[in-house]
Amino acid sequence: MQDRPHAAELAQAVREFIETEVLPGIDDPRLRFRTLVAANGLGILEREIALGAPLVRREAGSLARLLGHADPLPDDLDELRRLASDLNRELALRIRADDTPEGTLAHLLATVADKLRVASPRYLERYR
Amino acid sequence: MSVAGSARAAPTVELELRERLIPLFGADIAIERLALLAGGASKEAWALDLRTPQGKRELLVRRAGGGVIHKETLSLEDEHRLLEVAFAAGVRVPKPFGYLGEIAGRPAFVSERVSGETIGRRIVQRPDLADARAVLPTQMAEELAKIHAIPAERVPFLGGSGARDVLGRLTEEVDRLGDAHPAIELGLSWATRQAPENSETVVLHGDLRVGNLAVNATGLGHVLDWEFGHRGDPAEDVAWPLVRAWRFGVDELHLGGIGEVEPYLERYNVLTGRHITLASLGYWEIVGNLKWAIGALTQSRRHLSGQQRSVELAVLGRLAAEMEFELLHLLERAG
Repeated sequence: MQDRPHAAELAQAVREFIETEVLPGIDDPRLRFRTLVAANGLGILEREIALGAPLVRREAGSLARLLGHADPLPDDLDELRRLASDLNRELALRIRADDTPEGTLAHLLATVADKLRVASPRYLERYR
Repeated sequence: MSVAGSARAAPTVELELRERLIPLFGADIAIERLALLAGGASKEAWALDLRTPQGKRELLVRRAGGGVIHKETLSLEDEHRLLEVAFAAGVRVPKPFGYLGEIAGRPAFVSERVSGETIGRRIVQRPDLADARAVLPTQMAEELAKIHAIPAERVPFLGGSGARDVLGRLTEEVDRLGDAHPAIELGLSWATRQAPENSETVVLHGDLRVGNLAVNATGLGHVLDWEFGHRGDPAEDVAWPLVRAWRFGVDELHLGGIGEVEPYLERYNVLTGRHITLASLGYWEIVGNLKWAIGALTQSRRHLSGQQRSVELAVLGRLAAEMEFELLHLLERAG
């Protein structure tokens, strides 16, 4: 077991350093933009550490129901990720073969909203 | 790239550049300033102040970067040729002065350096650009009308054609990503079923939107960034600035965060005699979201593969979800 700070706390510390100590000293607009992007990348990482596991479980469960798979979901997170990736491939192939399962649009709206909870929560809140 | 270090030109660049500028501006010239404005793996932009017998000229040199050029973009020589043809057709573009061949091993061309705001987020927000925003929609329609009237035989190097060609190319790009994207598949499947048949094919700018225009207090100054020029359905170009990502946060203004679609479309149709419908724009807006979702994922692969390491490109891979979300909502509405 690693000592604190935990991964999310460490990412947060680096992001706060960039935002409060690095950014104010940057005048070059392009470097400033890339620095903001870097801080945003760390924010994504913080949220993924906090929310990633339950969201990938929800996605895999929804995909399994949509595609009619009855097997129980694995507990191990890496296995769960592999399963979600395989099921996404299966769904993509069915859509391309013009055999889109009933309920695909609703599944994708919920799943992509979950991706945005990690990648871009403000976009999701603002979306109308 | 160190900012301080990159601002000055390497001596060979300056020497070779001066040599290539002589046939264009005469032998009695001096480079007063040459500074790198933006450097990427794919393309550089240099600000060049040149003293000539006729006075000082403010120029821009576009030069290839060290990395791999995007498969879908024009070579610098073709981009310069397209600029020349567009300039001759009366399109507001920075005046092209000449293709320079290779400067220190990389192709380059020189054009007029124009002023004006080019950052999308500032164009939609700056209070002092309110008057410009009021006239930009019809001005964009006017530039598109001129571009779409360029005779295709003057730019024979432009590839592309209709919707099916666009979708075929997008499908190939998706297949190169290496993982599955069902939201994008759903969009491609819809767009294939709804693809217009036998549409007209014209010369397109390919990336005309807020963010690729130089805007001043009175409105549209110049149309920039011609590297995505191709041939295709005129509605593809007309719909592109409607895509939500190009509204820069002012989402309620459907046209680029600056205006409504109807007056823009009406102006375009009056000028061209075409009858592009809102429904057709709706189709191409969906394709536009597909294009940019796939584009963002592809950009992140440039980082992941080591072709161009960049935090900006890396994060784009995660932001593709924004375009997927918009795409799904547009599909829901389209039925």
